[in-house]
Amino acid sequence: MPDARTILDQQFLEMRWRCLSLAADFDRIERASGGADVIASDRRLADLRVAMRRIAELGGNAGRAEFVQSTFSDKTPAPTR
Amino acid sequence: MKFIDPHIHCVSRTTDDYLYMARAGVVAVSEPAFWAGYDRSSAASFGDYFRHLLEVEPLRAAKYGIDHYAWLCINAKEAENVELAREVIKLIPPLLDHPRVLGVGEIGLNKNTINEITIFEEQVEIAARFDQMILIHTPHLHDKHKGTSIITSILKNDQRIKPERVLIDHCEEHTIRIARDNGFWAGLTVYPVTKVTPQRAVDILEQFGPDMICVNSASDWGESGPTNLTDTYLEFRKRGHSEQEAVNVFFNNPCRFFGQSPKWKLKPVG
Repeated sequence: MPDARTILDQQFLEMRWRCLSLAADFDRIERASGGADVIASDRRLADLRVAMRRIAELGGNAGRAEFVQSTFSDKTPAPTR
Repeated sequence: MKFIDPHIHCVSRTTDDYLYMARAGVVAVSEPAFWAGYDRSSAASFGDYFRHLLEVEPLRAAKYGIDHYAWLCINAKEAENVELAREVIKLIPPLLDHPRVLGVGEIGLNKNTINEITIFEEQVEIAARFDQMILIHTPHLHDKHKGTSIITSILKNDQRIKPERVLIDHCEEHTIRIARDNGFWAGLTVYPVTKVTPQRAVDILEQFGPDMICVNSASDWGESGPTNLTDTYLEFRKRGHSEQEAVNVFFNNPCRFFGQSPKWKLKPVG
């Protein structure tokens, strides 16, 4: 297993590219008709902002992927007959 | 390097995909019954589909030196029509002794509805009564965690079901513990957008260890393909894991799970 610096060196351009893609997605939604309102009020985008805040946290946070999965999961109880 | 793709829908793939798989070293595949992309109008349509799985695809695969096996069921999406689903379930028991059938699958849930749960339970009953292995489909995206919990709870409550004879497929970071902690096999599906990437699949293998995990492409009529399996192998090797470790994940593990059926011929190596 390579060390952390090596992994970052290998991955950084792709991470930067994915970050830019997401930024451009937000911009495209905002530019479209009704964009500002959707950006401000859509629940899915609110979940994305929660996920991104967690991703950006420093230290002791291995488990970011599981947290993001949980953010996007239905937490209502199972149906009953 | 020889590969097994433990979950691929060959009926939806081109002959070029068989050629690719053969060139890449895929020597065996297993194909669960699934949703065709549209709801079928009668049980007879499923009868034809099962014949396709058991007679046509094994011949297509054999032309490329690939051993083809199948699983039979009605999928969760069409289980919403309970009356039709029950007609389809009646077709399954007479086919379970076919030499290409490994068990009942891919059964599970799609939107976690009462009707889906009812038909899931009725197919678990078939598997238990006929002593069949089970391949489980877990829901996608925001329904996955809840659906996986419901499914494993039903299976654990049935004393006739042996967890080691069940593979919970499409596991991700937030559901793999549910499968593993309950003694089930876990499947990782490498599929664009809705499932895991090669990088995330290898992350999960590194974090949870390779035991009782099968990696598959679940290639179907959507944007997907058998290269996702071999790309995951390349990512695994790029990170410094040995060839023998790769053999263990991409060949031996499927052999160990499927090998619980006397119909499966390949044995683990190394």
